[in-house]
Amino acid sequence: MEAYLVAIGIIALIYVILSLGLTLQYGLTGLINFGHVGFFAIGAYTSALLAFQGVPLVLCFAAAAVLAGIAAWPIGLVSLRLRDDYFAIVTLGFSEVVRIVITSEKWLTSGVQGLPGVPRLYEELGGFTAQLAVFATILAVTLLGIWMIRRIAGSPFGRLIEAIRDNEEAVQALGKDPARFKIQVLVVGAAFAGIAGAFYAHYITYIVPDQFIPLVTFYVWMAIIMGGVGRVSGAVVGSAILMLFLEGSRFLRDVLPGVSEVDMASVRIGAVGFLLILFIMYRPQGLMGDYTKR
Amino acid sequence: MSLEVRDIGKSYGGFKALDGVRLTVETGALFGIIGPNGAGKSTLFSVISGFVPADEGRIILDGKAIDGLSAPARARAGMVRTFQVPREFRHLTVRENLMAAAPQQTGENLLGVFFRPGRVNEEEAAIADRVDQTITFLKLTRVADQPSGMLSGGQKKLLELGRALMAKPRMILLDEPFAGVNPVLIDEIMERIAELNGRGIGFVVIEHDLQALTRLVPRLAVMDRGRIIAEGEPRAVLDDPLVREAYLGGVS
Amino acid sequence: MFYAQLLVNGIVQGLVIGLAALSITLVFGIARFPNAATGDFMTFGAFSALTAHQATGSILFGGLGAIVATGLVSLLAYWAVFRRLADRSVVALLVASIGIGFLLRAVLGVVFGHGQQVFQVPLTRPYVFNGIRVMPLDLQLAAVAALALALVFSLLYLTPIGRQMRAVADNRDLARVSGIRPGRVMVALWLVAGGVAGVAGMMLGIKTIVTPEFGWEMLLPAFTAAILGGIGSPVGAVAAGLILGVAQELSTPFVGFTYKIALAFIIMLAVLLLRPRGLFGQLEGAR
Repeated sequence: MEAYLVAIGIIALIYVILSLGLTLQYGLTGLINFGHVGFFAIGAYTSALLAFQGVPLVLCFAAAAVLAGIAAWPIGLVSLRLRDDYFAIVTLGFSEVVRIVITSEKWLTSGVQGLPGVPRLYEELGGFTAQLAVFATILAVTLLGIWMIRRIAGSPFGRLIEAIRDNEEAVQALGKDPARFKIQVLVVGAAFAGIAGAFYAHYITYIVPDQFIPLVTFYVWMAIIMGGVGRVSGAVVGSAILMLFLEGSRFLRDVLPGVSEVDMASVRIGAVGFLLILFIMYRPQGLMGDYTKR
Repeated sequence: MSLEVRDIGKSYGGFKALDGVRLTVETGALFGIIGPNGAGKSTLFSVISGFVPADEGRIILDGKAIDGLSAPARARAGMVRTFQVPREFRHLTVRENLMAAAPQQTGENLLGVFFRPGRVNEEEAAIADRVDQTITFLKLTRVADQPSGMLSGGQKKLLELGRALMAKPRMILLDEPFAGVNPVLIDEIMERIAELNGRGIGFVVIEHDLQALTRLVPRLAVMDRGRIIAEGEPRAVLDDPLVREAYLGGVS
Repeated sequence: MFYAQLLVNGIVQGLVIGLAALSITLVFGIARFPNAATGDFMTFGAFSALTAHQATGSILFGGLGAIVATGLVSLLAYWAVFRRLADRSVVALLVASIGIGFLLRAVLGVVFGHGQQVFQVPLTRPYVFNGIRVMPLDLQLAAVAALALALVFSLLYLTPIGRQMRAVADNRDLARVSGIRPGRVMVALWLVAGGVAGVAGMMLGIKTIVTPEFGWEMLLPAFTAAILGGIGSPVGAVAAGLILGVAQELSTPFVGFTYKIALAFIIMLAVLLLRPRGLFGQLEGAR
């Protein structure tokens, strides 16, 4: 039972880190990033592949963050001057292309076979102790992430990205170029996703392209919309609810007779769709309330 | 700062929004532009400030052509505009709106935020002082810590002016500063503009409200259907038969 | 000769993309948001056609079933969701359209299962013209697509409601002051957008294998064609769809089968950067 709770805790924290990145991008800046899972995938594969080469895990994690961030750079350069809705399409397309690349480049990623046996963190500790150590590490990283986002939100930079979210042209009229700020936001948010991907790869230990479908992006969207857009606490609360939802649906499948995993997958995706629509229509400010009353 | 607009033209589809517009605004001037709706006043501002590219013509600022500069670059050069419909950062307070407008902040770079916190704090304190002065000057003290989205129309106009001031301009382009503002506040805004002009900041003011504008500016131009049809002292211009026909015909 | 064959193969693929892009460009031009549920509308159309085809054995009835059922589902989505979000930001509509796509996919997954389904169409010998093989089925599909396009374009260009739809796409404010009732335009829009996506889904289903996810895969090429054609331009969407379909086929020998979608993405980026209003668009900039 403890092992189960810790396992859930680890996955929930991975979603918190993903949500923090999206909170910076969408919640604070208004960037409609529909391709978050692409950066998550880049982080996961980068870290796993480096670990297979015997690179120390700390460096693998750092490389995951850096490479995910670097991948965001050209995407930002070409698309940040576009309108919001085009940006959404371009990022969605980017994440699909990432998935196609990792599916196709078999020499590197083994394609759909995936990469089994990704080294665990703290392998040498063994068993439950190792799991606790992983939990403590990801918790520490999450807290560091929360501190960073809060620090950014409270800084002149944070003030300006919120100004961009409220009115981009007015920011230009004051002599500031929104694209310069948005690209920093995009890169940092992608680095968060990259770190989350690294934790995911080394915790699950088996990654395949099918784990990186757009549905994951929208899990994160669901989390921040339910929690309350633009609030760090919203990212945390939303991820907790998301985890309850995902685990609850798995529990339901186990107790209900005659429900297969594929059926449950359909129900899950339908519930995500339904909740997205419901919250957008009736409670766009999320459960934690409007971000103006932070 | 002097501004020269040379033969600017701009068409949308077949519609000529601006047609050979020529204007010269001298350093430190207080210059007005009037004209009926759809005359091209706001389009002219958008072209001058770099938000809309012109089809033809040149914009000269202090003797230098600025046609190639982006909107933010033109603002940094010292020419800051406001908008007809106020564009406050509605989730930020009045104070935060003004803080955000201060130029060249170390804390607007992420590296600065994390690696130079001391310098960021110093700058913030200095900006906060300027913001306090601006808030007092514009008499926004009572609402200083309210989200700007909740202000009245007139207060938003004042906030726009304040934000422009925080950007340290040498010339401000004001787009209908009196539209939708109650008469008491109009007088207030006019006094502030005159006072700022006395300190050497040039103004170009677009306005629909003739009464207010003629009291404010010593010199104005009249636009109609994308052209400047008259320019000079308010009295003389308003007596021009062409202007009376184009603009005042229906009114007086 | 080899390339001529690829070109012929690309045309049917291009018609599928073109029809999907037509659905996207109409919604984008008139309701002003990129409808991410379009791919799932296609899936819905494929399953509707499959059901109608199994019941009647006729491709024509299959097509009719796809048009009617998908048109109604699309209208339902408008009535229940998009209508209520009309005055909200584009992100609300975008997220809602993703939600609707997910819901549709879930319903189809539960009702039809996740097995691969195929249209049972009789195998026929290809016609050979100068060594280029053309399948009779492809000709039939091209005819169905041409019929659907003829219907949509007559509606758009020959009827009062079509004229009103184009007027709203041109200039929403102007359309409102000239007395066009947006409600009727919207109903027509969503029926047409759904019906067209439904036909595209049926065609894709006949050419490939139907699964609850298969329409989603077409979303990126369809968006690309809509952007390449110029948002709001129906003719542009179809033309760009054909160009893209052929380009994808012709590129297959060089980049491989799996990179088709990546090619669409690269084309989309190039268009957005170099010519954001597309080949035929003039109404709305991407910046």
